[in-house]
Amino acid sequence: MLTSLLIWLEDTPGSVWVREYPSLFGFPFILFLHTLGLAMLAGVSIAIDLWLLNAVTFARTVRMTGLIRVMWLGLGINTASGVALLLAYPAKALTNPVFYAKLLLVVGGVYAVARINREAFPGGAAIAGAPINAIAKRWAVGSLVIWAGTIATGRLLAYTHSVLFASQLP
Amino acid sequence: MSLSDVIRWLTSTPVNTVVMDYRWVWPISEILHFCGLAVMVGTVGAFDLRLLGLGKGVAPATLHRSLRYGVAAFVLSATTGSLFIFGQPDQYFYNAAFKFKVVALLLLGLNVSLFYTLEARRVLALGPNDDVPLRAKLIAATSLTLLVSIMLFGRMLTFFRP
Repeated sequence: MLTSLLIWLEDTPGSVWVREYPSLFGFPFILFLHTLGLAMLAGVSIAIDLWLLNAVTFARTVRMTGLIRVMWLGLGINTASGVALLLAYPAKALTNPVFYAKLLLVVGGVYAVARINREAFPGGAAIAGAPINAIAKRWAVGSLVIWAGTIATGRLLAYTHSVLFASQLP
Repeated sequence: MSLSDVIRWLTSTPVNTVVMDYRWVWPISEILHFCGLAVMVGTVGAFDLRLLGLGKGVAPATLHRSLRYGVAAFVLSATTGSLFIFGQPDQYFYNAAFKFKVVALLLLGLNVSLFYTLEARRVLALGPNDDVPLRAKLIAATSLTLLVSIMLFGRMLTFFRP
């Protein structure tokens, strides 16, 4: 049942296009977009985590709406490019437990970003002199660990898959 | 000394043996390379976005404090990147994407020097909602473009292999 679903997915025009489009604007560019999205979401999130962990109070009033938008845009780019990459090689990803670990970590990372935004920047801002509370700091540590895990599992996908195509499944 | 001599020398070093003979050295280096990339692009990119006005509401000096982590991350990425070159030098030295990536890295270094020479003092004194001088914005736009180019050429390495 799963094998036939994977074979069907691999044969869809979208899957064939991503996998076989003979240009750098096909699979290679989608892979680049996935890295760009990672930098926008995880990168900016890490920068904010490091800032929160190295301060006791907000020295000045801050409004974070611009950077928060960048992170959510990064999530959008990552989701769209991730779906395209999954569509290209569904059997490779869906038969690999590391892929599910990565998905869980991404969900955890996004939740951590949302919690940090709520704890440290309620309403998208923090006023001068406001303390950075312990909960926000704990989530900042959690976020750093989660993003490191996401990157690690993402890279390991290239080394841990057992099949490339559904036809190779037993 | 020709390029092939350099490649021969790199492949004869113990570093090459470690990178190529131990199964997990390459994947672990890749993980560290990408972690470094995320921290570097995140910290430098967030600062650049503030200078361009997208992160207005945060004083440039606040985001500037995180740049030291960006520098540390760059060192990590450069070190792990060097391991890849020691491991398979011919895959990099004859690769157009690698050459573009190195040029982009050098230009990024030059751009950073320009910022600290011309604009840093003025920019770091600005408040959360102050507008940034045009020249600093141009430097930030160049920095962001180069960061994205570095990621782009890095991802293209596989597809330009000789």
